[in-house]
Amino acid sequence: MKPLLFFLFCCFSMRAVAGDDSKLLIREINKKFAQVNDYTANVFMKFDIPGVKMNSLNGKVFFKSPNKFRIRTKGIFFLPKQNPLQNISTLLLDTSSYTSVISGYEILNGKNCAIVNIIPLTAKTELILGKFWIDTKNILILKSQITTKNNGTLETNSTYSSLSNYTLPDKLIIKVEIKKIKIPKMMSGDLNKIAKRNADPNALETGTIELVFSNYTINTKFPDTIFTEKGE
Amino acid sequence: MKEFGAILYNELIKTIRRPRSFIGFGVITFICLMLQGAFYHDGKEILSFVTGQLDNIFTVEGKVLNGNLICFVVLQTLIVQMPLLVALVTGDLVSGETASGTIRFLLTRPASRTKIVLAKWIAGLFYTLLLLIILGIFALFVSRAIFGTGDMMALNSEGLTIIRGDDINWRWGGAFLIAFLALGVVSSLANMLSCIMDNSITPIVTVMAIIIVFTIIGMFDLPSFDVIKPYLFTTHMISWRSLFEDPVPISDIVFSCVVLLVHIIVFVSISIFYFNRKDISA
Repeated sequence: MKPLLFFLFCCFSMRAVAGDDSKLLIREINKKFAQVNDYTANVFMKFDIPGVKMNSLNGKVFFKSPNKFRIRTKGIFFLPKQNPLQNISTLLLDTSSYTSVISGYEILNGKNCAIVNIIPLTAKTELILGKFWIDTKNILILKSQITTKNNGTLETNSTYSSLSNYTLPDKLIIKVEIKKIKIPKMMSGDLNKIAKRNADPNALETGTIELVFSNYTINTKFPDTIFTEKGE
Repeated sequence: MKEFGAILYNELIKTIRRPRSFIGFGVITFICLMLQGAFYHDGKEILSFVTGQLDNIFTVEGKVLNGNLICFVVLQTLIVQMPLLVALVTGDLVSGETASGTIRFLLTRPASRTKIVLAKWIAGLFYTLLLLIILGIFALFVSRAIFGTGDMMALNSEGLTIIRGDDINWRWGGAFLIAFLALGVVSSLANMLSCIMDNSITPIVTVMAIIIVFTIIGMFDLPSFDVIKPYLFTTHMISWRSLFEDPVPISDIVFSCVVLLVHIIVFVSISIFYFNRKDISA
């Protein structure tokens, strides 16, 4: 009986430690987020979305805490509805809305990462599960998987260099799973195109959006009108 | 050559001054303005049919509803109807004169029959060019004036292609050139049938029937039709759309242009051959 009790005690203790560790990691991450009230940066966007052919595009990104976000550019581009640049900090900063636990450890890009799971405390939220791979040495989110009720799972991979103290990535790769876009012939007017057969219309494919950031300027207190004014 | 010039000038004036020529100009202007009005009021709703598949996952940023998109939609809509407008005028150029008897007076001139039929064919092409110029002015320039310019979201059955605004003008130039070539085929076909038939309605109706049948064959994804499709000129008439793909399938476009040119040469040759042997003495 005693060994069993000891084993159970160890298990609960480890679980409690894992929970505490996750809170510690999130607290450190949030400290870094809190340093950034606003930022602007140049962004180069590259798209690889099934059924959408689109050349890469340059633009300028504006962010203001807690969740004001805009990319100004001269052209058409797509961004995920649950924009990670906007949502991750908002999600993690609201520590009262979720519980966290470390579900394991993994080496990612040669760095030891704790896999921190974020589970919302109420069923009413849009979030189902957030999974963050946090570099335990540098306290940086290298990878995330956010599953929501309406928008499925969105994965991000971040690379940092000079502004890692502010958790501002140099490169962010966003992966989404979508069905390939099909436009009816009558709508596209592509009347003579011979359709490719044997393609499963419901098959999910992975779409990728790559964002490369440069020339960050932090905490310059730019006006809020930037988010509302009609621009390029 | 001077004689040919005089006949050509005469044919151009006759073609342009006919009341039915203005039907084409009027229809194109009306359709362009009507579509522009519809897009001005309900553009976002219309676009949601297209972007609906993306809406769950992506936010589409940027000015999607602009003059380039409107022009693409208008050209796509009208390229099916324009052959009918072209045939309405060009299908009557020879047969109309045969039916009314004025062809006999025309043939009393010293110019050869070949020159006469060529002059009528060129007049038909000139009318086609005028139609396209009016379409270009209203569909592209007026749309850009109303809706502005920018990147274009081109639709095709395989998905969407976003063409950047600074890479689009040469595509429009090419598209209108291919559209002219395509309508040139219709004009040549109508002219050929006009040489063969003796009343003015039959060639027009025949051209329309041919285009409708060929278009319907092109619409269906049936294996038996897939064999026929590459040989139908209607398949290549919409090859202007390929200019709005990325990368541009140059070889496919060149092939389509060659097919259209061959059709024009064949139709004009048959017109000349038949008109030279036609008995107009009766």
